[in-house]
Amino acid sequence: MTTDTRTKRFLSWIDFRFPLTEVFERHLSKYPAPTNLNIWYLFGFLLIVVLAMQIVTGLWLMMNYTNSAEEAFSSVEYIMRDVEYGWLIRYMHAAGASAFFALIYLHMFRGMMYGSYQKPRELIWLGGWFTYLILMAEGFTGYVLPWGQMSFWAAQVIISLFSSIPVVGEDLATWIRGDYLVSGITLSRLFAFHVVLLPILLIAIVFFHILALHEIGSNNPDGIDVKKHLDEDGVPLDTKPFFPYDISHDIFALGVFLIIFCSVVFFFPTGGGYIIEYVNYEPANPLSTPAHIVPSWYYTPFYAMLRAVDFPLFGLTAKFLGFATMMAAVAIFAVLPWLDRSPVKSIKYKGILSKSFLGIFVVSFFALCYLGMVPPTETKTLLSKIFTLGYFSYFLLMPIYTRIEKCKPVPERVAEV
Amino acid sequence: MQTCSGESSRGMKLIVILAFAFFSGLSSSAGEYKCGSIECYEFSPDTKDKESLQRGLSAYMNFCYGCHSLKYSRYKRVAEDLSIPLDIYEQNLIFDDSKIGDLMHISLKESKAIELLGAKPPDLTLEARLRSPEWVYTYLNTFYEDASRPYGVNNKVYANVSMPHVLEDIQSELSEEEYGRYIADITNFLTYVSDPSAETRKQLGIYVILFLLIFTAFAYLVYREFKKDLK
Repeated sequence: MTTDTRTKRFLSWIDFRFPLTEVFERHLSKYPAPTNLNIWYLFGFLLIVVLAMQIVTGLWLMMNYTNSAEEAFSSVEYIMRDVEYGWLIRYMHAAGASAFFALIYLHMFRGMMYGSYQKPRELIWLGGWFTYLILMAEGFTGYVLPWGQMSFWAAQVIISLFSSIPVVGEDLATWIRGDYLVSGITLSRLFAFHVVLLPILLIAIVFFHILALHEIGSNNPDGIDVKKHLDEDGVPLDTKPFFPYDISHDIFALGVFLIIFCSVVFFFPTGGGYIIEYVNYEPANPLSTPAHIVPSWYYTPFYAMLRAVDFPLFGLTAKFLGFATMMAAVAIFAVLPWLDRSPVKSIKYKGILSKSFLGIFVVSFFALCYLGMVPPTETKTLLSKIFTLGYFSYFLLMPIYTRIEKCKPVPERVAEV
Repeated sequence: MQTCSGESSRGMKLIVILAFAFFSGLSSSAGEYKCGSIECYEFSPDTKDKESLQRGLSAYMNFCYGCHSLKYSRYKRVAEDLSIPLDIYEQNLIFDDSKIGDLMHISLKESKAIELLGAKPPDLTLEARLRSPEWVYTYLNTFYEDASRPYGVNNKVYANVSMPHVLEDIQSELSEEEYGRYIADITNFLTYVSDPSAETRKQLGIYVILFLLIFTAFAYLVYREFKKDLK
């Protein structure tokens, strides 16, 4: 018996009991991807790679990390100095967090640009949105773990935001902290969330996201429904199998991504203070507040919104309104599929209004990202207000501008583009 | 003491710096000097220069280590990284009954330090990363006489610092240039100890990037080959 037939027999033994070949072909080797996918369709694959990297590096970090207020800071230095290649694992995990957010923002923007959230992909979009929420919680809880000054004070500021909620706020914040101030109790519960609860949710939702995508099929830059034209085997004509066409593309992209990522890890591991903040090289000290408490760059757009709302309204405090604005800015992504009334998916075929508002959104996002990093001044707070309006106008005016604008006709087939 | 006009010109400078920071989009830090009341002196640390690191270590152990621990670092790691034979290190640079593999704690008790100096001297293992090497260099260079302070000295970078000018005798013995080199050695050493894997990291990084360049080149060729099928 040759090895070939032996493998076949083994596979058929498995397939009789579990749909291995079917699952593999359906989700990987034969998954039909539209032929007109472009560079924007790489980030999903890269996100999976980064997720895997974060899990592996996180596992190894956890082997040497101590989750107590007394030991946390020195255990991180122990990892950096005494653990073999501990510095590499830690820098990869820290830079990995920033990469994760950079990629997820690009991935989300792709969806917004090409209308990938539209019918019938609402649940894929919601799954992705939920992944983003969990990722934000992961980023925050992970940031607290080194227990440096910025870890401590960021935790203090973020958790105290909950205390601005009317009536139940104070009790809620105490309940989250497990203490009246951020303490070792807070640290160890955030650690438990970071390494157990949130990763489980993250993996489960990513699984759901991909399963839903593979059921419906990928959108494409032209928003053409490729399932309208099938070949005799029922495979859409304007697609190519994932293996080898997309995988070869993705692996090339992975190489480019890793060159950038490893350049950061090996040559600029602190990313000029954006990946690991210098203030965090001082152990947490509840008695001394750092001059400027700034969240990581991936949260700063929302932090800028929090600071932009500096006026009380309808008997609600400015702090609560700011907090509510910040939460709304993240939550509003979830209803995007129902805000878009356009008959076409892709920005290519939408009208000038959609293009302008997407532009306003992008400019606002970057501006808020910057404004959230710098100390506030009167002018900057005013700018933050304007850009906050810009950010929300993209969403809130969408039902209007997508309905009144004139769209271009979408081609039937990719070849006609 | 700053005069009123000094304050306002500082205010003007602040505005200019902030405006510059906003338009260049570069700075994330505060609109004040990175080195207290003055601009940082120019300094670029050299952690490859082992002789400088050894001199810096020796100066540190003699003048700083009495009060400032390096408690995240181990004697042995420093000895190995700076190419100092372990027996020579043990005989000359360990002052208590610590073992060579121990962390670099000091014997000065916190309560005693507060009694003597009015404050707890911080651990300096990560100082050069926390503040930047320029900050450390500038700080060591800018002690000045100030009769209002308990030890008769103050510092331009760290106003009203509790620390006496421990290098006063050295500074008076050396020329300005020689003193500059002396504190450059200490700063180099502190830069090294704040990130001891930095040199290994950069060396390894070159090989990793080279490998990835080759990998990506081949990955591109494979991709291009399959792309031809689709045309």
